[in-house]
Amino acid sequence: MSTTTPPSNTRAGGTDAPGNPDVSGVDLELVDVLKRYPGQKKPAVDGLSLHIPAGEIVMFVGPSGCGKTTSLKMINRLIEPTSGTISIGGEDVRGRNVDQLRRHVGYVIQGGSLFPHLTVAQNISVVPRLLKWDSRRTSERVDELLELVSLDPAKYRDRYPRELSGGQQQRVGVARGLAADPPVILMDEPFGAVDPITRQRLQDELLSIQEELRKTIVCVTHDIDEAVKLGDRILILQEGAQIAQYDTPEAILAAPANAFVEDFVGAGSTLKQLSLSRVSDVELVHPTTATVGERVAEVRARAEANGDQAVVVLDERRRPVDWMWLRELAAADTVRPVRDDVLTLDRRATLNDALDMMLTSTHGAAIVTGRRDEYLGVVNFTAVTGHIQATEQQLAEGRAADATAGRDDAWEGGGA
Amino acid sequence: MSRTDTTRPVAVPAGDAPRSADTETAPRRSRWAVSGESRILLLVLPVVVALVFGAWAWWRATADLDSIEARQLAWGLILDLIWQHVKLTLVATFFVLLVAIPLGIALTRPRFKRAAPLAVGIANAGQAAPAIGLIVLLAMLLGFTFGTAVLALTLYAVLPVLRNTITGLQGIDPTLVEAGRGIGMSGAGVLFRVELPLAVPVIMTGVRTALVLLVGTATLATFVNAGGLGTLIVTGITLFRYPVLVSGALLVALLALLVDWAGRVLERVARPKGI
Amino acid sequence: MWEFIDERKAQIAFSAYQHVSLVLQAVLVATVIAVVLAVVVTRFRPLEPVANAVSAMGLTIPSFALLGLLVPLVGIGVASAFVAVTFYATLPILRNAVVGLQGVDARLVESAHGMGMNTLATLTRVRLPLAWPVILAGIRVSTQMSMGIAAIAAYVLGPGLGQLIYTGLAQIGGANALNSALVGTLGVVILALAIDALLLLLGRLTISKGIRA
Repeated sequence: MSTTTPPSNTRAGGTDAPGNPDVSGVDLELVDVLKRYPGQKKPAVDGLSLHIPAGEIVMFVGPSGCGKTTSLKMINRLIEPTSGTISIGGEDVRGRNVDQLRRHVGYVIQGGSLFPHLTVAQNISVVPRLLKWDSRRTSERVDELLELVSLDPAKYRDRYPRELSGGQQQRVGVARGLAADPPVILMDEPFGAVDPITRQRLQDELLSIQEELRKTIVCVTHDIDEAVKLGDRILILQEGAQIAQYDTPEAILAAPANAFVEDFVGAGSTLKQLSLSRVSDVELVHPTTATVGERVAEVRARAEANGDQAVVVLDERRRPVDWMWLRELAAADTVRPVRDDVLTLDRRATLNDALDMMLTSTHGAAIVTGRRDEYLGVVNFTAVTGHIQATEQQLAEGRAADATAGRDDAWEGGGA
Repeated sequence: MSRTDTTRPVAVPAGDAPRSADTETAPRRSRWAVSGESRILLLVLPVVVALVFGAWAWWRATADLDSIEARQLAWGLILDLIWQHVKLTLVATFFVLLVAIPLGIALTRPRFKRAAPLAVGIANAGQAAPAIGLIVLLAMLLGFTFGTAVLALTLYAVLPVLRNTITGLQGIDPTLVEAGRGIGMSGAGVLFRVELPLAVPVIMTGVRTALVLLVGTATLATFVNAGGLGTLIVTGITLFRYPVLVSGALLVALLALLVDWAGRVLERVARPKGI
Repeated sequence: MWEFIDERKAQIAFSAYQHVSLVLQAVLVATVIAVVLAVVVTRFRPLEPVANAVSAMGLTIPSFALLGLLVPLVGIGVASAFVAVTFYATLPILRNAVVGLQGVDARLVESAHGMGMNTLATLTRVRLPLAWPVILAGIRVSTQMSMGIAAIAAYVLGPGLGQLIYTGLAQIGGANALNSALVGTLGVVILALAIDALLLLLGRLTISKGIRA
């Protein structure tokens, strides 16, 4: 069986060659990988062949027991394949001491699985210590990673996992996986144990981290929405890790390869398209902003001139800290935030996420941030509904075109 | 977080009897569905005891003993000593139950509830006293008699039953008690028909612990002239006769294992159906 | 009684020292044995009920009987006392160590392997530190029990405060019989409580803040 290579990816820019300096990941190759457990007739993974291009996120999805986790764990040899080869950056994983191999493959699992007896910093420095980094380099790396996952190092470095919320634990888990800067990161249901809002934030953060680092990430999930949102490609598996479809999210949603995939992806494909569109795809509006410490009178004047009832309050680094009604401003001479947990959307968040947040916001809209939480603007219902209408129209035109070109094309488009 | 809960100590109390892990009763299906450990203890133990005792009896019948050994190991004497040992154990057990269970009940009633930690604390600290010291001191004060031995043993074994009675009663779902009161049962009615039956498994574990503690400590009764199988050990050491010494030690060990086994059987039989 | 103590200060202090020394050494050896056994037992799961049953049976055997069985083998004196105390001390620690090691979340162990820790590193850096609070609870139970067993072991000429108790018994009717037994008994109680407090302190110092109850 030949290796499955999907059509090039549109979103991540499928032109990236392994030599691209921006990409710190490497290629991952599985050839005829088979796992048979003793005493079981059917192999858990039956001849899986797969090529994962450097710097991409590939999501493994499928019903439970389909072999997706087994496949993942064979990459870092937590499970030894019965036969077949797996290579990372062209190097056979079996050619290496298993512990050495794992120190160079990041591993992130549900809930972070932090060691409860170690502090955040100690948890993150497990692998650097195994690699015998000196303590200065290690502690610098810890701080750098905590910044990267949006946790203030001074505040969180010496905390124990039980002093963190679920989302924070998961962030530390991601930081720990990235600690020794491995080219490949394996994630097993990484965001399965947190509430939906936190999950969405963590997903956004992972995407923006990935934008900077361009690792090769393999991620197992049972949540098709998560797969669509995070994946550059999605691998949909059936029992025995048989590939049902391996393609970009767009292609899978537009043209499911067979009935199994169609069932799995679910109905309502227009709404699913909301998971494909990012907040950055729609036009943002720009209400009045204010900076902490600014004089209220000036802000009020500006807002009234714009006809706004509320202003977005930013800190000195242009990160949103509050979204205040004008009457809330009146309490003081200078602008001072009254809430301490303003909800924001990363620009990589899907329109699905945006709708969720707008529904719970008293402003009926959501603040959008970019790299390092910098303020970008606000997304509102009008923008989202406009985008949905445009997409629907496009799809309808696409279907009409398909119909004239002959139905069969749609089935073959899925590859695999 | 449940993750950290799993690391919580299972046997914390200071001076606690080492079997305290047993108070955590495992989930059970039916009365005779048993875990691997219990199966070994329930089924294998009596076989081991019987085999070792058989081997000893055979040795006793065929060994070439000198006159002192033969006198010390005469069947009549040995049976006497076993009977004394059993009597010490049972009488002390009776008094332990008589003291510990009512006390445990009292300490879980609203009126005395707040005294419970104090009482258990005192009992715990008392457990730190060496059994041999307790027996010898009491004998010096009260005389070298069977009664003294029973008193010392009783004091020594009250703790496990008291603690398990309190734990057992406190562990009952309060809604069941309320339900009992709600359908018009009196306080005593709820106690005897709801609370105690539900607490029986935990209390019985305490009783078995006490039994084992007693049968072991009764070995020391010989020091206050109250007899028991310890006599053979002391005689064996004093007269430097290993056959006597080992026979005594072996018989005490077998008796203790047998009592433990009986306690386990009793635990199962006494457990109300449906729990 | 104060007079009695005053006259024999040095001897009592020496007995107390010997008693504590015997118990601590025995518990230390017992801890090592128990943890090693527990690691083996948790590695081969079918052994677990066997280990628990043996542990329960071992604790059932009266200490005086075990001493009687040991004397022909190791002779009268310190050796018998040490072996007997170590034997009993091992059992509660073994039981707790098995429970503690088993209580470690399997995902944490997998996580450790997944990050490239070998079996030994996983044991020393993850499994044992996480099981330590439970093991230490076992050590406390063992130590308390050992204090009493060491007192009994003085009958076969083991060292420690038990000797004072037996001396009192032997001199019954004598002027200092009661004092001797009383000092021996109270000495054991006080030392037992003091050592338990020290073990609690040890727990504060050695149990990671992240998992302390």
